[in-house]
Amino acid sequence: MSSIAHDPTHGHEHDHHAHHPSGVMRWITTTNHKDIGSLYLWFSFIMFLAGGVMALTIRAELFQPGLQIVQPEFFNQLTTMHGLVMVFGAIMPAFVGFANWQIPLMIGAPDMAFARMNNWSFWLLPVAAILLMGSFLAPGGASAAGWTLYAPLSVQMGMGMDMLIFAVHIMGASSIMGAINIVTTILNMRAPGMTLMKMPLFCWTWLITAYLLIAVMPVLAGAVTMLLTDRHFGTSFFNAAGGGDPVLYQHVFWFFGHPEVYIMILPAFGIVSQIIPTFSRKPLFGYASMVYATSSIAILSFIVWAHHMFTTGMPAAGQLFFMYATMLIAVPTGVKVFNWVATMWKGSMTFETPMLFAVGFIFVFTMGGFTGLICAITPIDIQIQDTYYVVAHFHYVLVAGSLFAIFAGTYYWLPKWTGHMYDEGLGRLHFWASIIFFNITFFPMHFLGLAGMPRRIPDYALQFADFNAIATVGAFGFGLSQLIFLAAVLKCVKGGQRRPQRSGTVRTDSSGPCPRQRPTIPSKLHRLSSKRCWLTGGPPWTGDQTSAPR
Amino acid sequence: MSDGDDTPQRAGFLSTVRAVLWSFAGVRKRRDYNQDASSLNPVHVIIAGIFAAVVFVLSIVLVVRFVVSQ
Repeated sequence: MSSIAHDPTHGHEHDHHAHHPSGVMRWITTTNHKDIGSLYLWFSFIMFLAGGVMALTIRAELFQPGLQIVQPEFFNQLTTMHGLVMVFGAIMPAFVGFANWQIPLMIGAPDMAFARMNNWSFWLLPVAAILLMGSFLAPGGASAAGWTLYAPLSVQMGMGMDMLIFAVHIMGASSIMGAINIVTTILNMRAPGMTLMKMPLFCWTWLITAYLLIAVMPVLAGAVTMLLTDRHFGTSFFNAAGGGDPVLYQHVFWFFGHPEVYIMILPAFGIVSQIIPTFSRKPLFGYASMVYATSSIAILSFIVWAHHMFTTGMPAAGQLFFMYATMLIAVPTGVKVFNWVATMWKGSMTFETPMLFAVGFIFVFTMGGFTGLICAITPIDIQIQDTYYVVAHFHYVLVAGSLFAIFAGTYYWLPKWTGHMYDEGLGRLHFWASIIFFNITFFPMHFLGLAGMPRRIPDYALQFADFNAIATVGAFGFGLSQLIFLAAVLKCVKGGQRRPQRSGTVRTDSSGPCPRQRPTIPSKLHRLSSKRCWLTGGPPWTGDQTSAPR
Repeated sequence: MSDGDDTPQRAGFLSTVRAVLWSFAGVRKRRDYNQDASSLNPVHVIIAGIFAAVVFVLSIVLVVRFVVSQ
């Protein structure tokens, strides 16, 4: 949050005209995209810690067979809320934070298109978070229906479920407004010369993600509203006794849920596609194919949803359709992985912290992608449905995928945001601790799942004990490793070695921390008009090296 | 928001479909991409994309019918 840090040696004359509230009112009333970006990022970190504490409580309970720490009812609440808090509170807002900070800088816009709506989008989130976390205090506790909120279980919960439904409504409204803002900003506020196909890939991935958000968040809102009316207003959408069908809920939920998976991974692809070329000192291999692959993934994500439902009694033709479609979606995803590897090929690579996380992302995310393909094969999925194999798969994709990309992006852009270099030693320690403990935590879960251990259970049979103990040790290591991240960020925000001149954005004339406010007239891309912007969209501290491929 | 330094020839619908079909696989030759970037009409691309998505779904359905009928 140090975007207000002022550099007296470089005239940010525009700051002198601005009269802003100070203290808390600055953050409540701000319409500045950088302030709002920082708010999103801090909010998501707080939610990440909250969801992390829930995860550690789950893992502590699962350290040994038997019930030691929490009651089964509370355990189910924890698994439910851990998923919801991490998806809607940590991962999604973090990417919106990146979008707020970086997109206007990357495309040369003075701010987001709808600055006041931007403020409103953010400040809805703490309200939703209070509803979500406050539901633990409601009679009957928080929702315990699993993060997917399947009917009919979710129709039977206490008022914690109602609080959750309203929280989902609010977060959905926030996401839709954020997405509209991003689409409008990218389509209308690019600097002269910045054609769509010259945009940094991060902007492209967010543009497509924003369309996905606009398309599917209303579907989730519809699903939970139907739950609400089933619960309180006498409808029977999901009640077989009243002529409804509980499987309808699953179809509606997963029509939202599968594009949601890509909402959580496409911006990560964008971040990694900025970082890999920078530290390979080469332009991104196949920029256009990356854009095409991202679009292709977005379209295909709408026709694979029922692979989450192979065990619901689908006809064989349905199972085959969704199996084939799901396996085909691996093609454009594979194109991306090959492009990243080809970018690194014969590059002059260095392994600073952002690059470590980006390479770690490729390695571990690819493993998660492959286990996804295994889950896509219907006869296998019927065996491993609702086991720890699935838990391992989606944590490989969401933790090693989305979360590692968030870490990579944070280390990459922190010098731009704060004007100071982060502590490289702390960053590297954070990476190695994270990737080692991550694998200790989640790799054994593949074996547990293949051996038949179901997910969402507080107690288990003795034969699962050893791998669970290992996973719990890894989880505590992973959780504690994140304190290193907090220390590295705080140290960087407070001060430290000054960031060298040059920036990783369009406005290469801005040195030090990015000025809080920039001119309302977009700058012309005088240096970049004939090249794609990632040629200079590079490291906030390594100058022009990216534009000199070997 | 275009370069405005050239007046490219507008691509026909077939070449738009060809570009969209390549995009489903996620790859494109640099020369063809450069040609696309200067000549494709965005509205045509969207229409061709929806058309290709429908064809894609129908072709999977056909394959599934064939497999199930065996």
